Amino acid sequence: MNSQNIRNFSIIAHIDHGKSTLADRIIQECNAVSDRELSAQMMDTMDIEKERGITIKAQSVRLNYVKEGQEYVINLIDTPGHVDFSYEVSRSLAACEGALLVVDASQGVEAQTIANVYMALDNDLEIIPVLNKIDLPAADADRVAEEIEESIGLDCTDALHVSAKSGLGIKELIDAIIERVPAPESKNEGEVKAMIYDSWFDNYLGALALVRVFDGEIKKGDNILIMNTGKKHEVNNIMYPHPVKPVDTNAIGVGEVGIVVLGLKSVSDLAVGDTMTLANDPAKEPIAGYEEVKPFVFAGIYPIETDRFEDLRDALDKLKLNDASLQYEPETSAALGFGFRVGFLGMLHMEVVKERLEREYNIDLIATAPTVVYHVHLTDGTHLKVENPSQMPDPQKIDVIEEPYVRATILTPNEFVGNIITMLNNRRGIQEKMDYLNEDRVMLVYAVPMSEIVTDFYDKLKSATKGYASFDYEMIEYREGDLVKLDLKVAGEDVDALSIIVPKDKAYSRGKDLVAKMKEIVPRQLFEVSIQASLGNKIISATKISAMRKNVTAKCYGGDISRKRKLLEKQKEGKKRMKSVGSVELPQEAFLSVLKID
Amino acid sequence: MLLYLHVPYCDSKCHYCAFNSYTGMFHTKDAYFEALYKQLRHLLGQTDEPIETVFIGGGTPSAVQAHYYEKIFSLLPRSGIEITAEANPGSATGEWIKQMADMGVNRLSLGVQSFDEDKLRFLNRAHDQNMALEAIEAAKQYLERVSLDLIYNTPVDSKKLLQKDLDTFLSLGLEHISCYELTPEAGTRFADLTLPEGSFGPLIKEKLERSGFGAYEVSNYGKPSLHNLGYWQYKNYLGVGAGAIGFNGGIRYYPHSDLNAYIADPLFTKKERLSAADMEMEKIFLGLRSSVGVTSENPAVIKRLKHLADEGKLIEKRNRFYNRDFFLADEIALYLLK
Repeated sequence: MNSQNIRNFSIIAHIDHGKSTLADRIIQECNAVSDRELSAQMMDTMDIEKERGITIKAQSVRLNYVKEGQEYVINLIDTPGHVDFSYEVSRSLAACEGALLVVDASQGVEAQTIANVYMALDNDLEIIPVLNKIDLPAADADRVAEEIEESIGLDCTDALHVSAKSGLGIKELIDAIIERVPAPESKNEGEVKAMIYDSWFDNYLGALALVRVFDGEIKKGDNILIMNTGKKHEVNNIMYPHPVKPVDTNAIGVGEVGIVVLGLKSVSDLAVGDTMTLANDPAKEPIAGYEEVKPFVFAGIYPIETDRFEDLRDALDKLKLNDASLQYEPETSAALGFGFRVGFLGMLHMEVVKERLEREYNIDLIATAPTVVYHVHLTDGTHLKVENPSQMPDPQKIDVIEEPYVRATILTPNEFVGNIITMLNNRRGIQEKMDYLNEDRVMLVYAVPMSEIVTDFYDKLKSATKGYASFDYEMIEYREGDLVKLDLKVAGEDVDALSIIVPKDKAYSRGKDLVAKMKEIVPRQLFEVSIQASLGNKIISATKISAMRKNVTAKCYGGDISRKRKLLEKQKEGKKRMKSVGSVELPQEAFLSVLKID
Repeated sequence: MLLYLHVPYCDSKCHYCAFNSYTGMFHTKDAYFEALYKQLRHLLGQTDEPIETVFIGGGTPSAVQAHYYEKIFSLLPRSGIEITAEANPGSATGEWIKQMADMGVNRLSLGVQSFDEDKLRFLNRAHDQNMALEAIEAAKQYLERVSLDLIYNTPVDSKKLLQKDLDTFLSLGLEHISCYELTPEAGTRFADLTLPEGSFGPLIKEKLERSGFGAYEVSNYGKPSLHNLGYWQYKNYLGVGAGAIGFNGGIRYYPHSDLNAYIADPLFTKKERLSAADMEMEKIFLGLRSSVGVTSENPAVIKRLKHLADEGKLIEKRNRFYNRDFFLADEIALYLLK
């Protein structure tokens, strides 16, 4: 295929603004699937993606389209739909020449959309504004177009009006893609370069790389080199991506996308953003923009049943086959036994991993509260990175602690601005910008310590704004913080897994709240249980959970002892989901109690 | 070997009742008692162990005229063992009690439940306070051993009401009382009943023990029923009647619980074979809910038993561990079995 007749584009949209429906509609318009194959929202392939309405893995599809007698290939390159995966989003966008900016005409621009548009502009993409849900009674195309111009500075004169649901305007949209998105062009004639923008594991084919060719051609049988890892592999097969049935091909050339089968057992050698070139005639430079995966959030993951540590390791190893961003190392907790310190890209990534471990591998888990990575400078001039609060050195040894800050962008209706500012102030946020996009919509930009938002910020924001505010963030830098370690004792014993790092001036109130929350969460036990919060050796808050008064069924039906036994067995099963710490049984949520306080 | 006989007939159904009982089926009485006789004779023929106690429960045994029991008693020892019959104040007349006592019944368990009129109506009991007192007087005339059943933790209960019920009981000079906490059972009128928070159990226990009625099980006070105690001691028992469960040599036997199915085939039983772990668990929770106590061969369990004794939850006497608070029986069992 002549690269002049290829168009590569992706869709930028906020959750619920109709991205998946629009993608399905475009696929249908190009007759790429039969009606029978068209299941709703086929671009989301994982169960968790469908349940949560988000895209975790980037999907792609190669489509054929005829316009004015000319045959075109259009590659729809989907992007992950969550802030945790912003690096992956940037690489997917880098594989394109254009992007559709889809905004719900009945709602307006959202924070996440803005962040992704900036990323697309950084990659020099042609952006086509698309107003979706134009047939809704609440649609207000002019207002939303104005909002896009105000918030992003994008000319909306030629914005397209569509309804992905009814199919209105879809043909015109595809025509616009062909007319407005530039054709791919090779900038380094004579070299072979393709960028890996996604990789995943297939049970039959092994690890697969989804690539976009920038220069030259990749052929079946080629010996290729992955430039940043320095590893060489043979190309076993190449396929054009398709949501139902990928099509085999012998080669992919400039501007084309393809799934490259290398027969690898793990995706770890196929890092997103890395460059594929010929082993015997490598390109001079890899494609710019590659970054090593760097987890922002860490948490301890422990099996509730201590003898399932090896099962947990196997499960993590298997998840890793398909998720190169997942990082983990064994760690030991005095309270929880053997487990792993796992690094995640963000909170959603953590939830998804935890859910998959429990659901797909059937391991009951304790997850400790997520924490960021602190940079600690010691008085002896050395410094270290602390990913686990219990490993924070003694205060006497610490010179300075630095913590990561993010730039948070929030878009909200005017009425909630007060609440949000209060929330951000309570979380040590520093205002950088406050812009009125129009009379009703406000954009807030804050620098906030990441530790203040990795926990439950998004949930709190949603409930404080009835779901109307949207939120996005990016890492900016490390800044000095006045921080201390707060420890929790249960029944007189330190529970290392419950230690947290808090701002010094909030230590007392956090300690008090945490103790109160634990009292709510921890059920009564056979014995009285003391709960204490301490700073160093100093107890700053304490409470007692009095002993249980009663747990017995007063009636045991004569000879029907089996019935009673079965009831007790059920209770026993319930207790299995608790973690014994000393003689105290703590429910899973106790380890996340820190997330439940303000 | 204990013997339990089930009489599934009732004059009316109480709102809380999940037992295998029938109203409006009295026409099957003849056939049912014929089946009871057949099953009992069969089971007695199969065991060498002597019968230690008999318990005739229901349903409402007093809803069936005494002469129906004659053939049954012809198969049982005449004297020397505890023979209890359940009865309800509405149907336990002096005449019925006398006839039963003549045949060998030496202990009566009266389903009084309360002396409070409102509470009796709430429970849909077929008697009132006066009928209860009359039945008790009649029982005392013919039997030395009389027990009452009382229900607590119903939404109409209060500390005052229960104290009054207990005072009435204590004034009657009886030897035993069973106090059952109301359990909303699926399939009953009370299935979705919201119960009061907390429990009056400890209050009841304290008052009864102060008056000399020691608890020997979570619901039972006074001079122990050897039959009940036998269950908690993990003795074998024969179950005779529709849905009457038997237990012998690690196997639990379940006859038809449907009245007509039972009459058609009284010898049929479904068998449940218990594993060693099942039996260990049962011995533990039964021992903990009663004065029977617990012992174990399992080192992990023994270690926990000793720990609980050190913490004052259990009392150790000659390698047996006794629960100090029956209301914690299940929690302690779960702790031992984890």
